[in-house]
Amino acid sequence: MLKSTHKTTALPEGWTEHKAPTGHLYYYNSSTKQSTYTRPVAAPLPAAPTPPPPNNPSQSFLQYQSVDSQPSAGTAFNNFLPAGQSHGRGGFQSNRGRGGHDRSRDSRPQPTDKPISRHAIPDNESWFLIHTKLGRRFVYNAAKDQSFWRIPDKLKDGILALDQQRTREKAEALAAPKEPEAPQGAAERPVIEPTQAQPRDAEAEDSSEYEEVEVTDDEEDDENPSKRQRTEDDAPDEPVEFNEDDIAYQLAAMGQEYGLDPGEYGDENMDGWEEGDAGLEMTEEDSAALFKDLLNDFGINPYSPWEKLVEEGKLVDDLRYTALTSMKARKEVWEEWSKEKIKTLRELRAKAEKKDPRIPYLTFLQKYATPKLYWPEFKRKYKKESEMRDSTMSDKDREKFYREHINRLKLPQSTLKSDLSTLLKAQPLSQLNNTTLPSHLPSAVLADIRYVSLDSGIRDELVEGYISTLPPPLDTNDEEETEEKAKERQDRQRRQKALEDRERHVAEEKRRQKRNLEFGKGRLREEEAEIARAMNVSKKGLKDHLMEDET
Amino acid sequence: MPAIRHASKRKAPPAGFSDIEDDLLIFSNKMKDAENAPTTSVPRHQVHWPIFQISHQRSRYVYELYYEKEAISKELYEWLLKNGYADKMLIAKWKKTGYEKLCCLRCVQTKETNFNSTCICRVPKAQMKEDQAVECVSCGCRGCASSD
Repeated sequence: MLKSTHKTTALPEGWTEHKAPTGHLYYYNSSTKQSTYTRPVAAPLPAAPTPPPPNNPSQSFLQYQSVDSQPSAGTAFNNFLPAGQSHGRGGFQSNRGRGGHDRSRDSRPQPTDKPISRHAIPDNESWFLIHTKLGRRFVYNAAKDQSFWRIPDKLKDGILALDQQRTREKAEALAAPKEPEAPQGAAERPVIEPTQAQPRDAEAEDSSEYEEVEVTDDEEDDENPSKRQRTEDDAPDEPVEFNEDDIAYQLAAMGQEYGLDPGEYGDENMDGWEEGDAGLEMTEEDSAALFKDLLNDFGINPYSPWEKLVEEGKLVDDLRYTALTSMKARKEVWEEWSKEKIKTLRELRAKAEKKDPRIPYLTFLQKYATPKLYWPEFKRKYKKESEMRDSTMSDKDREKFYREHINRLKLPQSTLKSDLSTLLKAQPLSQLNNTTLPSHLPSAVLADIRYVSLDSGIRDELVEGYISTLPPPLDTNDEEETEEKAKERQDRQRRQKALEDRERHVAEEKRRQKRNLEFGKGRLREEEAEIARAMNVSKKGLKDHLMEDET
Repeated sequence: MPAIRHASKRKAPPAGFSDIEDDLLIFSNKMKDAENAPTTSVPRHQVHWPIFQISHQRSRYVYELYYEKEAISKELYEWLLKNGYADKMLIAKWKKTGYEKLCCLRCVQTKETNFNSTCICRVPKAQMKEDQAVECVSCGCRGCASSD
């Protein structure tokens, strides 16, 4: 900041600005042969431009390396980031809103808890259920101004009802995730809003982390912080999630402070977390099916080898990749999937009428063939075209068609038209009827030389006219198929939801672990402080302590 | 000297080849790269390892397509074998019990070894000493016993 204001003033006469090899700017007076780091200001007497005395060289030097001179020690550093400072903290800084857990709070023995939401308990007037920032909850009697961590028996029914209502809300919100967020927000906001102001003022940044909506199990009412779940919808201004990296960073930082080995803190035993406690069940089949969905979505070629899939590494970024835990399981599922896929592909191919190679060739002929070119000339001219190189059609056939087409081009229009109409009339009603689109004519028509030999404008008119005179087709309906598809889609959605639930559960579990760690750390600090106090025995020895106790 | 046949006059491969054409092309490109890679910095006995490995992978690919996934027809499979896309002799071994994962034919050739035995990579992991990582001399295999 200082620097910029200095820049605006012009240098006094005789002074020049230079850059030192270290990158610092300094100023040199050619007449007096003086140099200084501080920017000289024009003296009130321009006749004698005495440079300002470098009163404290080290201080003036420091002003140009303000970045490094910041107190970078742990606690202050986190809370005090100067405005213009772009210090290399990597990507971590961007996550700070959520992840940047300020350490000043850690230095306290225990993280302070705050109430964040209050719900009136139905059927019990003047009783409220309060949720705190750390995910605990207690009941509060407004009439007597008393609060209890332990929920009295008479309130249990009311709280049960409350929880059920919230779960229902949550389920509804989950059931329609695609819907715009407005209705959902409207449903949940009013509950949270009134109490939000409290945490906001203290830590405006961190508060959004605790705007949570929880889903609880209906059965048990005892405190269990694991039941709290956070929805992402409630923090629209803070899209950055508290991710694994941040936790790892925090753990590493705390571990360093205490000189722990990495093994001592970050033991997140992934297997220990039971699946789908709060959400839907994730069975083996579901995870396999999820992985198959993933394979389907990425359009993986079922014929490709597994190694290729692994090398490309396209799938790794997807969440569903984690549905299966080991590479072996993935490979097994992939094998199964590719087998199925190849089977269905073969069936499809068998069902689909064989794509006639003559059709593209004939349309190609209609476009480019002229009576001016002989076959060898034509062949040479267009040898690069895919229609001319298609291996499924022999060169002999190509030549035959070419000659025939050229011959037909010389015939009068009327014969061509009558030929076309006989061709159309020869088609059965199931193939050609009044619902047939002119762009989707049966292949028997398209692959006939009589169809292409007429100019396309005249031909299309003729075909359309003929189609409009035809009776409707014999109707067949495919309702069963659509039903099947709908069911498939539903299944798929359910699996997706189950996976999301599991992810959320895992995140929740992680958060809880972190919280426990913090508690433990706080306690450790307290003990340390106590020990330090105890160790601090002066010359007077034990007496000193005794005196302290008395006072 | 046999007559040179132009690609366009050659008989087309059997149906279904277009499905696997790209992957086979990848294999053949890999093989070309391995063939042309400089061998100056590689120990002498390791020079052929990548060639063996790619050849094994490609054979395995064709084998699995035909015998396990049943993705290609018999004609196409035979055409592939005839045209050198897979090692027929190696696949013949894979069909025998105890040889399901065989890495290369040289590793079961007992006559060329000092003690008239198969290669070290044929020894099951369970019978090896702890922490004994092996890479066989002929193809760099780290173990191809069926029980591994």
